[in-house]
Amino acid sequence: MRKVLSLILALAMAMTMLTAFATTAVAEVTKPESISIFIDGTVFTTNNARDAFQARWEELTGIKLEITQPDHDAYYDVLQQQIASGDWPDVMILSSTYYSAYAAEGVLWDMTDAWEASDLKASGRFTGDSVVEGLKIDGRLYGFSPTRGNGCVTYVKQAWLDAVGMQAPTNWDEYYAMLQAFTTQNPDGDDKKETFGVAAAGFVGPEAPYVNYLPEFYQDGTPTFDKDENGVWFDGFTQDSMKAALERLNKAYVDGVIDPTTLTNGTKDCRNKYYDDTFGAFTYWAGTWATNLKSNLEANNLSGELVALPPIAEVGAYLDRVPPVWAISSACENPEGVYKYFIDTMLDGGDMQMLWTYGVEDVHWSMKAETVLAGTDKEKTYEDGQFHMKESLEQAGTVYTKHHIDPMLALASFAEGYYDPREDSVKAEAKAASELFNTHSKLAIIVPTTEEMSMYNGDLVTLKNELIAKVTMGDLSYEQAMAKFESDGGAEWSKAIVDSLNALNK
Amino acid sequence: MVSASIPKDIRRSRLKARILKYKGFYLMFLPVLAFAIIFHYLPMLGIRFAFTKYNLIKDPVFVGFKNFERLFSMPNFWSAFANTLNLSIVKLLLNTFMAVIISLLLNEMVNIHAKKLAQTIIYIPHFMSWVVTASVFQMLFSPTTAGLVNQALMKLGVTTQNIYFLGDSKWWTPTYYIINVWRDTGWGTIIFMATLTGIDPGIYEAASIDGCGRWQKMWYITLPSLSNTIITVLILNLAKVMNLFESAFVLQNDAVMNVSQVLQTYVYYQTFNSGTIPDYGFTTAIGLFRSVVGMLLVLACNVASKRVRGRGIV
Repeated sequence: MRKVLSLILALAMAMTMLTAFATTAVAEVTKPESISIFIDGTVFTTNNARDAFQARWEELTGIKLEITQPDHDAYYDVLQQQIASGDWPDVMILSSTYYSAYAAEGVLWDMTDAWEASDLKASGRFTGDSVVEGLKIDGRLYGFSPTRGNGCVTYVKQAWLDAVGMQAPTNWDEYYAMLQAFTTQNPDGDDKKETFGVAAAGFVGPEAPYVNYLPEFYQDGTPTFDKDENGVWFDGFTQDSMKAALERLNKAYVDGVIDPTTLTNGTKDCRNKYYDDTFGAFTYWAGTWATNLKSNLEANNLSGELVALPPIAEVGAYLDRVPPVWAISSACENPEGVYKYFIDTMLDGGDMQMLWTYGVEDVHWSMKAETVLAGTDKEKTYEDGQFHMKESLEQAGTVYTKHHIDPMLALASFAEGYYDPREDSVKAEAKAASELFNTHSKLAIIVPTTEEMSMYNGDLVTLKNELIAKVTMGDLSYEQAMAKFESDGGAEWSKAIVDSLNALNK
Repeated sequence: MVSASIPKDIRRSRLKARILKYKGFYLMFLPVLAFAIIFHYLPMLGIRFAFTKYNLIKDPVFVGFKNFERLFSMPNFWSAFANTLNLSIVKLLLNTFMAVIISLLLNEMVNIHAKKLAQTIIYIPHFMSWVVTASVFQMLFSPTTAGLVNQALMKLGVTTQNIYFLGDSKWWTPTYYIINVWRDTGWGTIIFMATLTGIDPGIYEAASIDGCGRWQKMWYITLPSLSNTIITVLILNLAKVMNLFESAFVLQNDAVMNVSQVLQTYVYYQTFNSGTIPDYGFTTAIGLFRSVVGMLLVLACNVASKRVRGRGIV
């Protein structure tokens, strides 16, 4: 009996020691004295009182922040130079391309364990598990995003649906019938003006996930690399689903239901044509853009009522872009501390989340009674205690809408009892479009970097885009396009890249 | 021969004396020399990356001529090279030809106010950015009822259906030349107008007394007087043909890459279209190739200039 008791006691002591050791390991994260960060223009710039942001952040944490913020457009050029110099910052913002490439090259610290032990994960407020999973490379996490990447939903003009006597479509046949009606049945009421069903900025997008401006046409087709259910990589361009997508695009072009200048349209051209009532179905960004589209249509004396379509049956889910991430460099001397005090606090549900979402009180937002100039001849008066964003310091006459974290894309709510300004600051249509997107979207996958990708993908993307355009416009048949794909080296490059991606699985 | 017969120490002291004598000029030259070294010669050290594999993260790895082997095996590269020469040279000839014609026409204008007004109007397009120019011409050439050119052609019965001028490989190249002529011809007339102003009026008077008509004066006096300037302009611009980028970049699209892709845009797409961090060794190799061809063209121009004008340009 005594022996059994001793054994139990010994085991209990061992368990206690192990638990204590584990607790100490987590608790023993050293608070850094300073953190160097490399940021783009999505964080307030010096012209927008970055100093006030920095002071407030330092006040909340007691840590000194060393900020490097190049011009937004030159961010990755400067970051690359910084990395090449060997003087790596502790923390940096990275797009999905740089994220996967830097992770592959060992530039980034593996934050998987830090995430698993984080306060945010344990808070119960975090809603972005799928985003975190999507950011993992070979099962390991090298970057964290406080928001979704966002994506596009299809907006249809309710007035045009009424004019042609149709309901919002739910499948491809209904969608195409709607486009045909928009093209031929004079939905804008102007006999002389040409109208189209749909328009986009190019037949294929310039960046991943490439198909998000015309999801109804691509459906399950993709021109880029994808993984099957077994985790085997393939080139979507060579699949039957892509052939079907090209046939749908070609039919729409021949039938005239897609704006014939889609090839040369920029996104601004599309928006302007939408505001001019030239076409009726527009796949564009969810969230704030729902409000922008509405208000611009109304500014042209048109109905601003838009239907944000749930994805048609064949699409299934809209694509959520891989969001830019915050990553810690492998040169950081105290990565656990940086994670705990910098990254894990971003969505703390309190003052820090408020700072990253809206900025500094009485600099970027306020609760005081005041009149804010929001446009050349628009003024809005707020009462005391009413949350509102303030006039931009950089662009007089415009109002701030958010800081780094878009409140509609945030992956965690504010803590219970903490005032969440979202209800007061986000318009109903923007919230509805955002919620529809969040409900009906899936995260685009991250394609890892390989040497073959770096060697061939530039030429391969150019060739694929050319063939997509030519098949759509009827300059080449699908068979001719694939023959050209073979003869110009596309098939060879594609195979080399696919093989290199699958070699990573082994 | 003379300098060789002078002892070295005397030559050196003479050089020192000359430098001291002209020290003011040498001092003024110093900033220019520093500028040239810092911004033109030091960056040339980057040429070494053309012989490496380098992604700016790990140290560059020497690969010899592999980047060039890969470059020369890429069909898109040769297509871009051919397009660069084709678009640049035809554009240069067309722009120069049109600039000469317009200069001659302007020179014939008697009313000075009308002449100045015409000059101002034709100079303006040069000051529009290529992005704005591309937007304007995309609207003008649009294959819809909003496209002014297509509507005009259809009204005139030239065509029965819209032509996608900027989206069809057959039409893109001529449209590109037209847009370039519209934008740059006016600016190109400046140098020709300056030459025309310098022609001695006495020659025209003498020709008139001899019974020459306006056409004969233009053919026998004006054009020969301009010929040296035309050749100079052509030669100087020929050296820049490899620099083509902005005009091709803003007007190109996926459907016309086979005729609109030039070397500079090829480098751009290799850098930003690969979906990953590019191999800067490879893109530097393309840049080096472009520079070498550009240098050969400059040397050829120099030889041509010596033969035509009796003096070189470098």
